[in-house]
Amino acid sequence: MAGAAALRRFAPRIARHVAAAPSLSRNPLQQPERLLSSQSSPEHGPRGAVPGSELALYPPERVRNFSIIAHVDHGKSTLADRLLELTGTIQKGHGQPQYLDKLQVERERGITVKAQTATMFYRHTTASLDSDAPRYLLNLIDTPGHVDFSYEVSRSLAACQGALLVVDAAQGVQAQTIANFYLAFESNLSIIPVINKIDQPTADPDNVKDQLKRLFDIDPSEALLTSAKTGKGLEQVLPAVIERIPFPRGKCDSPVRMLLLDSYYDEYKGVICHVAVVDGALRKGDKIASASTGRAYEVLDVGIMHPELTPTGVLYTGQVGYVISGMRSTKEARIGDTLHQAKSTVEPLPGFKPAKHMVFSGLYPADGSDFEALSHAIEKLTCNDASVSVTKETSNALGMGFRCGFLGLLHMDVFHQRLEQEYGAQVISTIPTVPYIFEYGDGSKIQVENPAALASNPGKRVVACWEPTVIATIIIPSEYVGPVIMLCSERRGEQLEYTFIDAQRALLKYRLPLKEIIVDFYNELKGITSGYATFDYEDSEYQQSDLVKMDILLNGQPVDAMATIVHNQKAQRVGRELVEKLKKFIERQMFEITIQAAIGSKVIARETLSAMRKNVLAKCYGGDITRKKKLLEKQKEGKKRMKRVGSVDIPQEAFHELLKVSNSK
Amino acid sequence: MLRLAFPLVSHLPPKKPPPIRPRPPPARRYAASAAATSSPSPPSLPELPPSSVYVHLSFCRKRCHYCDFPIVALGSSSGTTPSRGEGADDPRIVDYVRLLLREVAATRPVSDDGVPLETVFFGGGTPSLVPPRLVAAVLDALRGRFGLSACPEVSIEMDPGTFDAARLRELVGVGVNRVSLGVQAFQDDLLRACGRAHGVEEVHEAVGIVTACEGLQNWSMDLISSLPNQTKEMWEESLRCTVDARPTHVSVYDLQIEQGTKFGQMYTPGVFPLPCDTESANFYKIASKRLSEAGYNHYEISSYCKPGYECKHNLTYWQNRPFYAFGLGSASYIDGVRYSRPRRMKEYAEWVQKLEDGTWSHESRSSDSKDMAMDVVMLSLRTAWGLDLQSFSKSFGKSLALSLCNTFRPFGESGLVIAMDMERRALPHIDFELDLQSEDNFGSRVAFIRLSDPHGFLLSNELISLAFGIISPLQGYTFHSDIDYFPVD
Repeated sequence: MAGAAALRRFAPRIARHVAAAPSLSRNPLQQPERLLSSQSSPEHGPRGAVPGSELALYPPERVRNFSIIAHVDHGKSTLADRLLELTGTIQKGHGQPQYLDKLQVERERGITVKAQTATMFYRHTTASLDSDAPRYLLNLIDTPGHVDFSYEVSRSLAACQGALLVVDAAQGVQAQTIANFYLAFESNLSIIPVINKIDQPTADPDNVKDQLKRLFDIDPSEALLTSAKTGKGLEQVLPAVIERIPFPRGKCDSPVRMLLLDSYYDEYKGVICHVAVVDGALRKGDKIASASTGRAYEVLDVGIMHPELTPTGVLYTGQVGYVISGMRSTKEARIGDTLHQAKSTVEPLPGFKPAKHMVFSGLYPADGSDFEALSHAIEKLTCNDASVSVTKETSNALGMGFRCGFLGLLHMDVFHQRLEQEYGAQVISTIPTVPYIFEYGDGSKIQVENPAALASNPGKRVVACWEPTVIATIIIPSEYVGPVIMLCSERRGEQLEYTFIDAQRALLKYRLPLKEIIVDFYNELKGITSGYATFDYEDSEYQQSDLVKMDILLNGQPVDAMATIVHNQKAQRVGRELVEKLKKFIERQMFEITIQAAIGSKVIARETLSAMRKNVLAKCYGGDITRKKKLLEKQKEGKKRMKRVGSVDIPQEAFHELLKVSNSK
Repeated sequence: MLRLAFPLVSHLPPKKPPPIRPRPPPARRYAASAAATSSPSPPSLPELPPSSVYVHLSFCRKRCHYCDFPIVALGSSSGTTPSRGEGADDPRIVDYVRLLLREVAATRPVSDDGVPLETVFFGGGTPSLVPPRLVAAVLDALRGRFGLSACPEVSIEMDPGTFDAARLRELVGVGVNRVSLGVQAFQDDLLRACGRAHGVEEVHEAVGIVTACEGLQNWSMDLISSLPNQTKEMWEESLRCTVDARPTHVSVYDLQIEQGTKFGQMYTPGVFPLPCDTESANFYKIASKRLSEAGYNHYEISSYCKPGYECKHNLTYWQNRPFYAFGLGSASYIDGVRYSRPRRMKEYAEWVQKLEDGTWSHESRSSDSKDMAMDVVMLSLRTAWGLDLQSFSKSFGKSLALSLCNTFRPFGESGLVIAMDMERRALPHIDFELDLQSEDNFGSRVAFIRLSDPHGFLLSNELISLAFGIISPLQGYTFHSDIDYFPVD
């Protein structure tokens, strides 16, 4: 096994000498023990270098760029860990599992949110066993798997020439497998099917092979059978990568041109971009420019991820690594952008698109006084996730906050979770909404990202409304087809396809309004199928729809943060549900409270919360007023958790509960 | 026992012919009482030395199921009417009174120029279990230490079944002139369910003894509403029996379920067999209505009296005036400091020792003005006299008074808060509005604000905690405005 510099990550401070030629230490275990255990600060510590001269040993023909795609939990991260170990890039038993999933949220959810790359050195010994066996530089590009990030995935895949399509031997093809396969297929990647987890008692690799054949026309003989857990079959994987995946075709002698895969913000180094060099070579000190912004930068540091930042001073055609160039914010580093030699005109790489925000919600500090803290947290987090759009907004109920646009539901969820986990922010979020388009009689059109911003009585006629839709793929055991069809039609879905992928399982395709799936669709789907359903979707076009704005009023005063846009036919049901829920969560106050749902001036649901009858301490307590006073002070403190509209105090829970109200039941 | 304060003053014949012939005014009179109480002085800051004393006599035969007071249960041995048993006094009582006397002796009067005591209140516990001669000893000690005015109000709490006519006579003989009778209910089932040590028969007997006692004009009856399984009919019956007994004062307490009591383990407020909020609010309204019809003034959230028979001692509390306190768990308010004594006998005894040694002393402290303002608001809004805006403005600033009134304005409109003029006549809401239009107008019509009876009183916790929010605002939340929750950007 090759991998001279394999242990650099574990020996940041004395890495210099390990970074020598590949032949120096062929077995990572020969490294002194203390180096193996001094695993620290992979992010910020001084890092060893791989001399550029070493990278020069890997012309494009000796480079393979590939990614691993899989349905969630089919073993993608474990397989990646094994490959990194197999090449000595990381040490077995050291470091954390799911090595490439660095965020807490990624580990907890078993998902990938940010793209990562890792460079491995590998001696291809299958052909010849002698020490002259050719050495390869393999770049594993780890992509997010979720549809929210399909653009990011497509950019990552654009840097690859092949992909390992990992399928669980027992579970078979799932919704995300299909979505990922098509993304890879459309990117013209060579696909290596890997049927994983064959050690499981319920594994049925032959059935999976049949599915692959039927669904993707993949020759069953191509499938590798592995168990990333036990190690079985893993030895075939990297040889297959080298033999079946073409090398990157770039022009070595052209000026440098590279694809920006992803970026993240480091407090000490600034913005770090992951790039794939398409043409030419990139050297420290070069001047580069962004094709989308035109801004120019100097390359301050360049290197490979091995698996952490490892300076090399150069990256050659076809190679994948990182660049630090003095960008101040990840907003300057747009995923899919082309970076090229400054002062030269180059053809930008295809496929660049600005982020498209599909889900919006208002974020407010749970405690009014924490606005500054929330603002700070959002600023920090968007440094690392430039795909979130943020604008300030003010609500009469929640005060000052932000309207944030997300790529999708998961993205929103992840953003919330990261705000809480990484920045300790306590937030109230408003009911998520999608960008609707309203057209008025005078021909004007507006895009509505915040229902509160849509005038309840605009004074002009709405002639048409449009809402975004998705094409959803649902795979279920066939006995659940009935309830799932029911659910989809309740959600205003239009059936596009209904097929069987094997004797037991059906595949349904639906066009669904995005709004219908953003709150609780997946949970409900899981619920009615005992957890067996898998679900994925892709963005589709806008469709015309009969939409209305629904206001929630407390004692006649609209609560802007509770306004929603709903389908006309569902308005009454949703309105009633919201109003009932609010009645449950608003506490009685010293006056009667009417809770109404209204469309324009028409009230469609109403509840009355009668006035509090009694709150008095009519107890004999002698002269001991301190206890009573404490009680009243506690009562006063209770108000702190309230948001107020007009004279009505609304507990924060009410906002959280509203999020749970289905828009579609 | 849900008991304590709220005795009554005497005089003025009741409207209807009483079951027993009205008595002439008692020999010992507390001269200024009527005048002082019908228009009490504004809440004063505690610069004056205390002229009131609370004495805690902590013994009960057994603990009632709702009680979380510091008491000592004696058990059935000291059963009913242990009255004349000279030498048969329970040693626990004797020891405790000795301790009390030591505390009195070790307490330095706040002023040397001898402001005499105007009120003494023996609360408990069941003070009627304490032999009169020991009560006399305490009174003597107080007289010796602080001086007693010419006609002080001396109240004692008594439970039916713990005294006979002779014992009451004895108490009156040593200077007691007001009795607070812990009746609580007129239904045997309810009394039993509360763990009371007496039944209805003892209640009637006790009322007979009290009303027949020469020299005792002023007595109060305690009732508890919202007891488990209490029905509206039972409550009406209790109120009827109360009115028939013609006490000069009635205290109506609403059952509070306290943690750590037997009721606390058995019941959840608002859940059967306790009445729901609506029912229990209704009990409160019925009491207010029936007692008012019978000629009682509802002068404080839980207190009613015939005109002029307010409990002078309790007025000390409502007016935020200082008072001494002696005994287990009792709370004093001296030199601006509220102090609650230890609630366990052993710790209390140790504390008295320290007081004697001089290793513990009541320190004087200038209280925080916010705290003081909260006390004034909390206490005065419990009463029918309400909050004196002029005096409040003088002490805490006009703008705070104005903010308070602005906070209460919507509740003036809905009738929970009443604005009153200098003569404490209710003003129409428009006058309240006009007064609030500018700082200059403020106070031109409205001199007092009070909570209405019964609806404002019923929501007093809400209204007072709103006021607290104005006096001592929470970060990030304002009570009177919709927009400024946030720091200015």
